[in-house]
Order: sequence, then C-alpha cells, then structure tokens
Amino acid sequence: MIFLARRLAFYFAAFFLAITFNFLIPRLMPGDPSDRIIASFQGRLNESQVAAIRQSYGLEGSLWEQYLTYVGSVFRLDFGISTVQFPEPTASLLFYGATWTLVLVGLAIALAFTIGSIMGIHAAWNRGGFFDSFFTPINVMMNAFTPAIVALVLFYAFSLQLRWFPLGRAHDPNLMAAFNFQFIGSVLYHATLPVLSIFLVSFGGWHLGMRNVMINLLNDDFVILARAKGLSDNRVKYRYVARNAILPQITSLALSVGYMLGGALVTEQVFNYPGLGKFTFTAIGSRDYSFIQGQLLLLTTAVLVANLLSDIANVILDPRLRKG
Amino acid sequence: MTEITQSSSYSLTDRLDAAAIASAAPSQAQLMKELHVKRRPGWTSRLPPGLAAFATNPKGMTGVVILLALILFSIFGPMLSDYNPNRRAGGPHVMPSQEHVLGTTRMGKDVFTQLAYGGRISLTVGFGAGLTAALIGLAIGISAGYFGGRVDDILTFFVNVVLVLPGLPLIIVIATMVETASPWVIGAVLAATGWGWSARTIRTQTLSLRTREFVLSAELMGEKKWRIILVEIFPNMLSFFMSGLVLGTIAAILAEAALEFIGLGDPNAITWGTMLFWAQNNLALQSNAWWEIWPPCIAIMLTGAALVMVNFSVDEITNPQLRASRKIGLIRKFLSSRGRSADVF
Repeated sequence: MIFLARRLAFYFAAFFLAITFNFLIPRLMPGDPSDRIIASFQGRLNESQVAAIRQSYGLEGSLWEQYLTYVGSVFRLDFGISTVQFPEPTASLLFYGATWTLVLVGLAIALAFTIGSIMGIHAAWNRGGFFDSFFTPINVMMNAFTPAIVALVLFYAFSLQLRWFPLGRAHDPNLMAAFNFQFIGSVLYHATLPVLSIFLVSFGGWHLGMRNVMINLLNDDFVILARAKGLSDNRVKYRYVARNAILPQITSLALSVGYMLGGALVTEQVFNYPGLGKFTFTAIGSRDYSFIQGQLLLLTTAVLVANLLSDIANVILDPRLRKG
Repeated sequence: MTEITQSSSYSLTDRLDAAAIASAAPSQAQLMKELHVKRRPGWTSRLPPGLAAFATNPKGMTGVVILLALILFSIFGPMLSDYNPNRRAGGPHVMPSQEHVLGTTRMGKDVFTQLAYGGRISLTVGFGAGLTAALIGLAIGISAGYFGGRVDDILTFFVNVVLVLPGLPLIIVIATMVETASPWVIGAVLAATGWGWSARTIRTQTLSLRTREFVLSAELMGEKKWRIILVEIFPNMLSFFMSGLVLGTIAAILAEAALEFIGLGDPNAITWGTMLFWAQNNLALQSNAWWEIWPPCIAIMLTGAALVMVNFSVDEITNPQLRASRKIGLIRKFLSSRGRSADVF
C-alpha cells in the first residue's frame, strides 16, 4: 500500500510537470499563438478586440494568474476552441480521436505483448536452437523499421495493389455506431492494417526482453530445485521461470505505451484513420495550438494511467511488493 | 612393501585413465570440426580484447559494414551527381534511367541526389542526437548513483518524468511552437528528451560499483570525486554507454524521420524524412511512382537494421549468456550425445 501511495504521488507530480511544460513552452517561444490570429486581421482590430482574443487564449494578467487559470481549465476539461473545426470545442474532438486511437493501440499492444512474450519464452527455453537463432535477430530488426515505413509498405501492398483492405476511415460510413456484430466487424476490418503495422514494429521488443530476462533466470536455484523435484518442463517453464520474468516486462509495457501512441499517430496518418494522429496532423498544418497541447496532456494521462495499472498488476503478481 | 604396492596401483589406474582418455577423447582439431568452430583470424590477436571480440562477431561486423557503406554513400554520393537537390532536374516522375539513376520526384528533382544529400543531414542529426542523449544519460546516471542521497532523489525524479512523458507527442508540441523546425532543432529536442533509459541503467550499474573495493580504496586514498568518477567508474560503464549510444541513435533517426514525415520538419530541408513527407504528400504511391518513396524508406530501414545488429553484438559480448548463435545448440547436442547434462547452457 505504501508502495502504491508513493507511486501515486509521483504520477501526480509528473502530471503537474506536464501541465507546466504545456503552459510554459508557448510562453517561452518568441511570439504567441494569438499573434497569428491578430496578424491575420491586418490591423483591422481595435484595442478591446485584441484584448478579447488574448483573453480567450489565457494570455492576460501576470504569469502566475495565467498559470492558475490554465490549471483550472485543464481540470474542467476545457481545452479551448478548435481553430480548424471552428467552433467545435477542442475537448470533444480530442475525445473522439482518442477513442479510435485507443482501439488501435489497445489491440496492437495486447497482440504484440502476448505473441512477443510467448515467442521470447520459447526462444529462451530452446536457446541456440533454430527458432532462437533465426527469429530473435529478425524480430528485433523489425523494431528498427519505423512505423511510418511498415505502414507505407502494408498500405501499398494490401490497400492499393491488392485492394483487400479499405483506403481509410474507421468503419463503413453507412453503418451507425451500435453494439452489434456488423458494426464491430466493420471496425475490426478497418483497423486490421493499422494494428498490424504497429504490431509488427513492436512485438520484437517483447520477444527480446522476455528472452533476455528468462535466460538470466534459467540457472537460478529455484529453477534447479523445481527441476530436481521432477516437475514437468511446461510447469517449470510457465509457472516458475516465465512468471518471474514477466514482472519487469509489465513495468516496461507501461512505459512503452507512450512509444506505441507515438507510433499510432504516424500510422493513422498513412491509413487515413480518424484517430488522434490524423487530427494532430491537420492541427499541425494550421497551427491549432490548443489541440496540439491537448493531445500531449491526454496522451500523458494515458501513459500515467497505464503505469498505475502496471504497478497494481505488479503488486498482485509479486507478493514481495505487498510487504514493503 | 605397502608403500610400493600403493604407488604402483596408483600409477596403474593413472595410466589406465590416461589411455582411456586418449582413446575416447577426440583431438582438438576433431572437436573444432564437429562444433564448426573456426580459428580466429591472426590479425585480431593484435587488437585489444574488447575490440577483438567485436571484430570476430559476424552480426556486429555486418552492421558496421552497412553503416560504413551508408556513411561513405552520403559523403561521396553528392559528388557523383551533377544535379542540385533543391532544383528541378527533369520532368515530373521520370522513371529511373541512365540520366536519373533513381528517377525524379513529382517536382522533377533527382531522387539519387536528394538521397545522398539527405543522408548527410539525417545521419549527422541521428548520431549527434544519440551521442548527446547518451552523454546526458551517462552524466546524470553516474551522478545519481555515485552521490546518492538528496542528489539521487532529485535526479531519479527527473529520470522517471522523462521516461513517463510520451516522447513523440511532447516533441510535436515543442516543434510546432518553433516557427520552422530545422533538422538541427529536431535533433536538439530529441537529445533533450531521449536520455531516460540510459540514465536509468547507468544509475543501477553505478550503485553496484560504488561499494566495490577499488572505488573504496580510491576514496580512502583521498582521490577527488571527479577523478573517481572519470578514472575508476567510467571505464566500467563503457559497454552500457555503447549500448545507450546505439539505442539512442536508432531512436533519434527513427523519430526524426517520423516527425518530418508527419509534416513537423522544415519542408525545404533535404533529409530522408522530408523526402518521405513529399512523397506521401504528392501521392507517389497512388500514382505508382515507387522510385520516389522506396529509396528513403530503404535507407532508413538499412540504418536501423545495421544499428540493431551492432547492438546485438554489444549485448552478446558483455553478456555471453545471451548469445543466440547456432554454436550453443551444437554444444548442447555435443554434450548430450556424450551423455552429459546440457542444462547449464
């Protein structure tokens, strides 16, 4: 419990640091977001109109007052008004995009972690065998093929040439969002290639991580004892070695959520998938600062929540942490 | 009497053992043949042991050769081409031919020239950012581990924050605030955000080294702190520093390409990432101009793969248990064919 409380305190501190970054970065840069809007009116604005625009960007008052207003608006989930899809509030765009991004990243992480770990267990158990010496280097090399390129290759092969998969969208536009077989099927069909490209660049990391941790455990006393007792290979493999090897993997799983989300941003761009990445891309093009800052806060929150979940999972799986 | 029998019986079994061993054990040459072990080439014995281990590691050397080829290509490639990478050199989307080795872009620029010039910037930014991040990680990791106490608490807090904050989204925020993010700005941001992992591993390693005898004796002799860190601790960190450098460079090259690909970079700069950006924007794939999009893709993939291979060899040399070669499989087969337990491997 003390362990979890300390972690929770750290996550709050990290969250506040992210808010502060978000607040300070535009104010440290030469020129601020409102300048661009004001300049676009070419001096046709009077004093009070300029002040009103600056007010709406939270740029009035002392730095400390601005900071308090900013923190307040973050906790009210008020991220301002989007300039791209005026007058839509940024928050609703953010949450719409985030839903689809979470579908992609959630599916990809689940697949990559499960398949990668199983391959790693297999490779470590038969170390030096054909599977290990052939697939370990290849899988890890896939990691170095950035999501952008893998996505481009898949898009070219399966969407453009073979036409097996759609050219964009998250689901068939003729279907209404509903919890039925047809709609979910359409969502999965549209998500296949984006998920596959995030999966391909990330499962090698889990393979290598699991393999290396497992190999270091294989000669430990408790494994030798378990074998001396005559337990079956499968029991030693999964219940003794893999169970211990998975603990550090869960911690790095949570830390990798940020990287996976970054990969999803790029993948969505290639597949024209209406997630956070697609919206961020248009926001970058038109310098929609409120959206760009919002996506950082939202994704940071997602990573922090993932870390909290991994701490809880570690406490459940590892009795040693419960005493501390 | 007893003395003689004892000594003779002892020497008899001894002789029997020697005979048994001589008849059963294969010669060294036979063993090497069965295990497919090759003698190390002679010139490696003149290298320092760490370097020799690296030079005889096939994966590591393959990676180094590919990297050298890419570096040589980007140094000398531009000299082979008569075109200016920023200027129109021919019609739009010309097929690869004698005149344009890799064809032209939709804007009519020569792809080969762009690839070579782009390599200069992409590789420099990638290696520069990777090196800077590894140095920051080294400095922070060693200080946190060695000084301990309050310093450690504060530094570890920042290391954890850097690890938790999602990299790409943070860089997107910083890069949009700068009016045009040149490759150098992107490199600086990547270096400033990419040192978390190496700082963490180096801190853990320093913690375990700090209590070793050689560090204690240096402290007792009254050596200065910076000298202990640089002369006593740093040489033991070299392998961790190397793998931090390689991983940091991979991350920086891939992240730079990703950032420029989604349109955050300066579109007028010539790098592999901006080449991808223009190819995607000009719908090169949809209009079947494969030569505009695949060359930068292949260059980025080759760089990543080569660095991964180098990292593999660093891993294998520093922790031989992790070696994934067929040799170990052969040794296991060899041992079990002679009725020995192969579990230690």
